[in-house]
Formats: sequence, structure tokens, C-alpha cells
Amino acid sequence: MSLFEKFSQARALEQALMEMPINPTGTIISEVVSASEAIIGGQLKIMAGTNNYLGLTFDADCVAAGQQALLEAGTGTTGSRMANGTYQQHLDLETEIAEFFDFSHGMVFSTGYSANIGMLTALLNTEDSVLIDSEGHASLFDGCRMSGAKIYRFKHNDPEGLRKRLSRLGEAGKDALIVVEGLYSVRGDCAPLKEYVDVKNEFGSYLMVDEAHSLGLYGENGRGLAEDQGVSDEVDFVVGTFSKSLGSIGGFCVSNHPELSLIRYASRPYIFTASPSPSVIATTRQALKKIKNCPELREIVWSNAQLLHSGLSQLGFQIGADVSPVIGIPFEDREVALTYWQNLFNKGVYTNLILPPAAPDGGSLIRCSVTAAHSKEQIRVILDAFDAIKNG
Amino acid sequence: MTHAKIVTRLIELLESLVASVENFDQETALVGDAGLESIQVIEYLCEVEDDFDIVIDEEALSYVNTVGDLAETILKINLGKSS
Repeated sequence: MSLFEKFSQARALEQALMEMPINPTGTIISEVVSASEAIIGGQLKIMAGTNNYLGLTFDADCVAAGQQALLEAGTGTTGSRMANGTYQQHLDLETEIAEFFDFSHGMVFSTGYSANIGMLTALLNTEDSVLIDSEGHASLFDGCRMSGAKIYRFKHNDPEGLRKRLSRLGEAGKDALIVVEGLYSVRGDCAPLKEYVDVKNEFGSYLMVDEAHSLGLYGENGRGLAEDQGVSDEVDFVVGTFSKSLGSIGGFCVSNHPELSLIRYASRPYIFTASPSPSVIATTRQALKKIKNCPELREIVWSNAQLLHSGLSQLGFQIGADVSPVIGIPFEDREVALTYWQNLFNKGVYTNLILPPAAPDGGSLIRCSVTAAHSKEQIRVILDAFDAIKNG
Repeated sequence: MTHAKIVTRLIELLESLVASVENFDQETALVGDAGLESIQVIEYLCEVEDDFDIVIDEEALSYVNTVGDLAETILKINLGKSS
């Protein structure tokens, strides 16, 4: 068998996508105009398929902080912290991210993906059991698999299913790690974290929550869904990314377990990846300040989310009950989803097309997201586009 | 519980997910023959776990293709529980 024969399925998918006027998985953004608009295929598009929830990518203070760091500390660190040294700014960011979440310890990774892989492979080994929501992000599954731990899935957002499985595990359940997300990134539904905490406490297990998509959006201080549900103190490990609400790149873990510092000696993605560059650290730190000091950004994004959610509901789309800045619109037929995506694009609206097997229910989805940078007029244009395709 | 009885019960549990289980037997592949979608596989396996009061880890599932394979896995788990 040739080395590349295994790609026959991928080749067929690529060919089908290439036959479309524009390949939805290979969108080339030729110019980023603002936090909510870009030029794609020579035309201005409203970006309704980003994770730029607070619209901070063009924030003047964040941009200035990045520029200053470039001038002062250069373009990159050129190596890992273990081998090539830690910049003071890395430590400052770790202190600030821990303080932001009101946790004792913080650790920064170069991406959100490597944070999840790095934490899970370090925390777990073949002796351990991990129970994971069946719709968890690929990085969470990859980390669990790479750790060699015994992996048990439970149904999406099903604390009772989790409880049953922990019960059956007996002694192994006591030290098991439970892995869930806050806001799920495709359908835009939220985890019942309070119920998960009750289960965790019943068995004495550990709980990791990935707040990648909920950071900056939920909770009085924007700390995420655990804060929103009043269970921050009960979460053992919060992981997340700087690449969504914070408009930067990088990942983190915060915890009250002092052993977090030992993860640095056991986490290969931490040890062997070049550390975040100075400008990335600077923009992230500045964006964290924005979350703390500008709660009005949350008010705007929630207002926009409500507007889009109610508009799509009124149009008759079968969307989830949870109002959030992420709305997944399911389509049973892949071709219908493709056509919708293409027509939205032609009407100046860029969304995300999620095809099997990436869609959580095996069907196809159009993922639509709103940000604090969207104007009410832009939300109206998005809704008008959906309306015209559905009823036109 | 014997392998054959487990197979019978596993096919019964498939009834709620597929149009007909009339020709299903231990050779029936869960995805290819039964036609389960990925989400249905997870639903089905959760139902199987609840019905047999067991948990099946992902590595054990990686060897499961047919109803008979799944029955074999359950048999091994039950043997492990009783030993």
C-alpha cells in the first residue's frame, strides 16, 4: 500500500469541495478590514463565523501593546522556556491569568490545543480513568488518548450518565478525571457544570473544564461558565485559549492544586514548544485587562446574540434553546447545508460550514457567531440573508 | 450470560435505532450493516452500558466491529467483574 493511499477519502472530499465556487474549508481572507469584516474573493463579507467574541482583534490598546512589545523584546522567543529561558512577561501573564480566575496557580502554553494535550498527557497515565463528554473538543480527546488512560465517554451534557459510569468504576472512579467544556463551540449549548460538580463531589473525582469559548462571555467577571453557575471554587482545572475572546493566541491552565507547577516537568508540549512571543503575551495581557475593565463589551455581545437567536428562531430554524454568541443551525442533508452556506456567502455573510464527521450529531451544520464588534445593522443583514434563502 | 444471549439482547437494543433488525446476527457490523451514524453509535453504546451495568473503555471498543465483537467484549468485562 502506498504511503498516500490512506488519503483516498480525503482526496474525494477535497475534490467535492474544490468543485464548489468557493471551498468552504479553504477560505482565503485576502484582507481583514475590521473585527467584523473582511475581503474574501474580492468582496466585502460580514464575518459571522469567527471566535472574536469581544471584537478585540483591532482594539487600539491591544494593538499598541503588541507593537510596543515587538519594539522592546523582538519578534519571537526562538525556543522553549525550559531550554531557552522564561521571559518575565511569561511569568506576569501566568500571574495575571491566575488572578483573573481567582485561582492560586497559572500555566501558559503556546496554543489552546497544546494546553489541552499538555495538561491531559501530564495528568493522566495508563493507571488512570478519564470520563469525557462525547462532544468534547478534538484536543481533549487527543490528549486523553495520548495519555494512555482508560477513556469512558458519556452522553453530551448528561450528568446522570456520568454518575452511573463513575459508580460502575468503583474505586477507579474516586481518582478519575472528568473532562467537559463550558460553552460548546459548534451548537452553542452550555454544560450543566453545577450538576457535574455535584457528581464529582459524590465520588471524590477531579473536574477539568475547558472554558475556551466561554471565557470573557459568562460570569460577573467574565471568567466563564463556572463563574456563571457559581462553581468556580469546585473546578480542579480550568483550561482555555487566548485565541478567542482575547483575540490573541496561546493556551492556559489555572488551578488551586499546587502540583500545577510540577506539570512543567512532565508536559511535553510545554517542554518542547517554543514559548509565546512577546507581542502575543502583550496583546493577551492587555485583552485580559479589557475583559476586567470593560464589562460593556459583554453586554453588547449578549445583546447581539439575543438579536440573532430570536431572529433565526422567528425564521423557523431549528436552533438550540440556549442563547449564546454561537448558534449551530442543523441540516440533515449535506447538500442543503452546502447550498445554504454558499448562498449566505454570495449575500455577503461568511459563516462556518461543519460537515460530517466534524458535526456533533453526524449531520451537517452552519455555525454562525456574533461578536461585540458587530453592529445591529450587520446582524440585520445576516438575518435578511437567512430569510431570503429560506423564503426567497 | 452466554455469548448468544448477549448477542440477542444487543440486537434487541438496536431496535429503537434502526428501521428493522430482522436479518441481524452476530456478524452484523454496527456501522456498515446496521447503518448507525456516529452519534447513534455513542447513544447505542451508552444504552448497552446501562443495560448490562458495565462501562466499556475506548480501547476495548476499538476492537469492536460487529455485534458479535461487542458481545465478546461484554463477556470479557463480565468475566473480569466476577473474578
